[in-house]
Amino acid sequence: MPVVTLYFDRIKKILGKSIPKGKIIDTLPFIGLDIEDETEDHINVEYSPNRPDYSTDYGIITGLQGLLGIKLGMPVLKIKNGKFSIKADPSVSKVRPYVTAIEARNGKLDDETIRQIITMQEDLHNGLGRRRKKASIGIHDLEKIKFPLYYKTVTREHSFIPLESDISMTVKDILEKTETGKKYKHILEGHAKVPVIVDSDGKTISLPPIVNAKLTEMNTKTRNLLVEVTATDKNAAEGVLAVVANTLQIAGFELYSVKITGAGISTPILKSRDLVLAPELVNKTLGIEISNPLIVKSLNNSRLDAKLRGKKIVCTIPRYRTDICGVMDLVEEVALGYGIQNLVPTMPESVSAGERSNTTKTLETVRSLMIGLGYLEVMNFELTSKEILYDKTGRESSKIISVTDSKSQEHIILRDMLLPGMMEVLSRNIHESYPQKIFEIGTVFEKDSPIKEKIHLSCLSAHKDVNFTEVKSVLQSLLKTGFNLSCNTVPQKEPMFVDGRTGSIVVNGKKLGSLGEIDAKVSDNFKLRTPVAGFEIALEISSNLD
Amino acid sequence: MSQVLHPIEQKILKTLIDRKNLTPEELATVTKLSLDQIRRGIEWLKFKNLASVVESEQNLVTLGKRGTEATEKGFPERQLVNHLRSLDGYSCEMNDVKNLLKNEFGPAIANAKKNGWVEIHENRIMLKGYHDATSEEKIIKTISKNPTGTFLEEFEDKDAVESLKKRPEFIVVSSKKSALVNLTEKGMETAKTVPDNIDFESVSETSSKVEPEAKVVRAIDVEAAAPIIFAAKSHPLRDVIDEVREIFVSLGFSEIIGNNVQSSFWNFDALFTPQDHPAREMQDTFYLKDVKASNIAKPDQIKKVSDAHKKGWNYQWQNEEARRLVLRTHTTCVTIRALADRNPDEARLFSIGKVFRNEKLSYKHLAEFHQVEGVVVGKNVTLRDLMGLQTEFYHKMGIKKIKFWPTFFPYTEPSLQSMIYNEKLGKWVELFGMGIFRPEVTKPLGIKNPVLAWGGGIERIAMLRYGLEDVRELYENKFGWLRSVPKCQ
Repeated sequence: MPVVTLYFDRIKKILGKSIPKGKIIDTLPFIGLDIEDETEDHINVEYSPNRPDYSTDYGIITGLQGLLGIKLGMPVLKIKNGKFSIKADPSVSKVRPYVTAIEARNGKLDDETIRQIITMQEDLHNGLGRRRKKASIGIHDLEKIKFPLYYKTVTREHSFIPLESDISMTVKDILEKTETGKKYKHILEGHAKVPVIVDSDGKTISLPPIVNAKLTEMNTKTRNLLVEVTATDKNAAEGVLAVVANTLQIAGFELYSVKITGAGISTPILKSRDLVLAPELVNKTLGIEISNPLIVKSLNNSRLDAKLRGKKIVCTIPRYRTDICGVMDLVEEVALGYGIQNLVPTMPESVSAGERSNTTKTLETVRSLMIGLGYLEVMNFELTSKEILYDKTGRESSKIISVTDSKSQEHIILRDMLLPGMMEVLSRNIHESYPQKIFEIGTVFEKDSPIKEKIHLSCLSAHKDVNFTEVKSVLQSLLKTGFNLSCNTVPQKEPMFVDGRTGSIVVNGKKLGSLGEIDAKVSDNFKLRTPVAGFEIALEISSNLD
Repeated sequence: MSQVLHPIEQKILKTLIDRKNLTPEELATVTKLSLDQIRRGIEWLKFKNLASVVESEQNLVTLGKRGTEATEKGFPERQLVNHLRSLDGYSCEMNDVKNLLKNEFGPAIANAKKNGWVEIHENRIMLKGYHDATSEEKIIKTISKNPTGTFLEEFEDKDAVESLKKRPEFIVVSSKKSALVNLTEKGMETAKTVPDNIDFESVSETSSKVEPEAKVVRAIDVEAAAPIIFAAKSHPLRDVIDEVREIFVSLGFSEIIGNNVQSSFWNFDALFTPQDHPAREMQDTFYLKDVKASNIAKPDQIKKVSDAHKKGWNYQWQNEEARRLVLRTHTTCVTIRALADRNPDEARLFSIGKVFRNEKLSYKHLAEFHQVEGVVVGKNVTLRDLMGLQTEFYHKMGIKKIKFWPTFFPYTEPSLQSMIYNEKLGKWVELFGMGIFRPEVTKPLGIKNPVLAWGGGIERIAMLRYGLEDVRELYENKFGWLRSVPKCQ
C-alpha cells in the first residue's frame, strides 16, 4: 500500500488548531491509516488506494479535522470561471480520447509541497489511473504556456525536450531510451500517431501518458499551475482531477476552470452528488440505536454534508470521494464518524452447532495413525520446482501444470506428487540423527478438464536397515486400523523406486499409489547416503465442492 | 542417602585419587575400561559435580625425518666426533670429513665447534675436550621413546628445544586439544568412600530380570541423564490450524472446503473486483498457464454478476477474463460460492485452506500460506456482532487485549481490522480482517440477508505462538525444530 510522510510541523500549520502529537497519532488509524513508523519530526502512514484523497498530508489532515471536530462537513471546491481553453482534435479519440484541466493560481510551493504533489501524482497514476493506462496527470508552470492549448496527435518523429533531459528528443527516442518511456510505451502500442499537448507557439508541453516537457516544469518559484488530465475513461479523468484540485485548494491555490472544446469532450464540472440514506440501515448494520441528528453529525465528522429530509438523510458527496459508490459506503462513513472505538462488541446468538468437514475428520484419523506408527509430520509448499519434482526424481514431466510469471524460481509448478518434496526434506536433514521417519498429507494437482485436486498421503523411512517390507507393514497397518481395508502390492516399474523392490498399491481393485525402496540414483540426486523406502497413496477423498 | 555410583564412576574416582590431569585416553588405559565408557563416566561425574574437565591445548613434539636419522646414526656433530676418535692423532683433513658427512658437513662442524669438541687449524680438524651427550641429544632420545609424542612442556632445557626447532626436520611440534580430568573437592571426598572391590557384574542395567529367587538387583543411578528420543508428532503449524478450527467449531461454525484452483469468476468477479483491478494483475496473482475454466458458474449467476460490474464499474465485462484459472488469493471464493449455491437464510460456515500470492519469499512473506475465513448469515446480524465473534475467537486463543480499526477490502463494507496486543513483542499487531459483504456482492448471487465475514492468515498466528521472526521457518521442515518445539506453548 502507498505511503505518505507526515511532518508534524506541517500538520500543525494545516490543521488549524493546536492538537497534541499523541492525540494526532492515536487518531490516524481511525480514519483508516496504518502507521508504518514514527520519528521525532515525522510519521509514515500507509493508506488504502481506494482513498486517493489521502495521498498527501493535505488530504489526511482534512480527514483528521473531521474526527477531531475542527472542521466538519464537505470541503467545497470553489472554481471560478477561467479564461483559458484546450482545443481537442478528433484524432485523439482513437488513442486517448479524454482531456480535462484546471488552473490553480496564487499558491506557494516549497520543496515539501512539491514532493507531496509529486507523490500524489504517482499514486493517482498507479491507482485510479491504473498505471497511467486509464488516466494520467500533467502539472505545469502556467506562466510558460501560451494559450489556447491544443490536444492532438503527432507522428513519432515529433520532438521536444522532455523532463530530465537537456536535449530535444523524438517521441520514438523518448519511448525507447528513457526510463519512463520504456515503462509506459506499451500504452501507446499499436498507434502510429501519439497524443501531445502543444501551446499556441507550437511548443510541446506534454506527451501523455509518458512525460511532460522540461519547459513547464514547476519549481519553488512557481505561483500558478495548470493541471491537465488525459484519459481513456471520462469518469477516471474527472475523479483524478477532483483529487488534485481539492488538494491544491487546501494547499492555498485558487481554482479556475479551463474550457475544453472538441468532439465528445466537455468542460469538467467536478460537481458533488447526493445519495439518500435510510437511518434504519445504519442502525441495523452497525447494531446501534442512534438518532438521526447523530447520524448527520457522524457523516459531517467524515467530511461529508448531510441533512434530514423527512425520515431519510440526504448525503452530499464531494467529487473527489471516488470510493463511495453506494449506501453501504455511507454506513461505513457513519461508523467512522461515530467512532469505531465507540462500538461495543456483542455476541450474536448461535443458531447451530458447528462441525468439522468429513474430509478433515478422515485426515485427522490418518494423521493420528501415522504419528502412532512413529512418523513425524512435515509440510511442504504446493508450488515447487521442476528440478525437485521431475529432474531429481527421474519422473516423466509431460503433464506439468505451471503458473505464469512467478517471482520465485522455486515456486513455479503445482506438485502432482508429494514424494519428491519429502525427499527434499530428508536431503535438508542429513545431519540429523537417524532413523528418520516422516509423512505428509497434502493436496496434489492433475491435469484433467481442467484441473483435478486430490489429497495424498506420503511417508518415507530412512535408516540403514530400511526395506520394502517395513513400509509395507506401515501401509497395511494404516489401512487396517484406520479403515478396515486391505491392500495388494503388485509388481511395477517406477522411476523413483528400485526395480524389483516396488509395487503399485491396489485397494479394492483400484490403483491408489506406489510403494517401494527409493532408487539409489534418486537418493544420490538428493545427496542421501542412507537407504530410504516409502509410499504415496491417494486418500480417496475429493476436495471438490462442485 | 548417599549417591549411588555406577561402577564406571567408581573406577574413575578411585583412579583419580592420586593422579592429576589425566586425559580420557589415559584414564582408559589405566582403568582398562573402553574410551566410550570413560567418556560417559566423565559426563556423569561432571553432572554430579564430582569431577572437573579442563579443555587444554598442548604442544606435542614428535621426531622429524632427520631426528629419526639422528637416533640411528647420531647427530652429525656426534658422527664427526666419533670419526675423529677412530683416527690416529684424532685429526684429519677437512675434505675427508666432507666426503663422509656430505650435506651434514656444515652443521656438523658448526655444532661441534659450538660444543667445544673440535678445533680447526689450517684446514685440519682436531678433536679436543669432553664429548658428553648434549641436551639436544637427550631430548631426541626422550622423544624417540614415545612414538605418540611428548608434551613440549615436559622438557626443562627450553633453549635446547628452541635450537632443535631451528634445525630443519629434527622435531615436529603440533598442537593437540585434550581434556584433562581432575576430581573436585567433593569428588575427592566421595572417592575415599569407594570400596576397593568394584562390582562390575551388574553394570548392565537390563540385568534386572524379574525372578523371585534372583539376588537383589544393584541399584542404578536414577539421577543420571537418559538418552534423548523424539516423539513422532504433528507439524507445529498443523497444531495451530487445528486449534483455529476447533475454536470455529466451538463457536457454532461448520467447515466447508473448496479447491485451490479457482476460476477468476469466483476468486474476483463474484466479489465485485473489477477486471482491471491491480489485485488481478499477474504480478500479484498466480494464473495457470495454458488452461482455462470451462464451466465457471450457473448462467444466471454469470449474468447477474457481470451486470453488477457493468453498472458499478462502468466497463465492458469479459467472460474470457472470468474463465482464467487462478490459485485462489483468499478462501473467500470458497465461502461466497457455498453461499451462492446453498442460499441459506441463516448460517455459520468457515473454511481453512491454502491461499497464494505471487510474492518474492522474505522473512514476512510467503507465496502460499493458510487462511481461515468464517461467514455468518442472518437477518439481524450486525457489525458489533462481528466484533463480538472476533473478540471471542481471540479470547479462546488466549489473547485478551484487542482493538478495532477501520480498513478497506474491496468486497466488504463496512470493513475493520483487528489489532491484538502481543506481550512478547510489546506492541500491537494486525491480525484478522473483517467486514460485511457489499450488497454489490450478495445481491447478484441471490443472497438476501447480510453476511458477516472475517478471517486472516494462520502462519502469522503461528509465528507469534512459536516466537518466530522469519515466516519461512514454518516450511523449512528442520527436524531439529520439528522434533523439539513443545506441543503446548
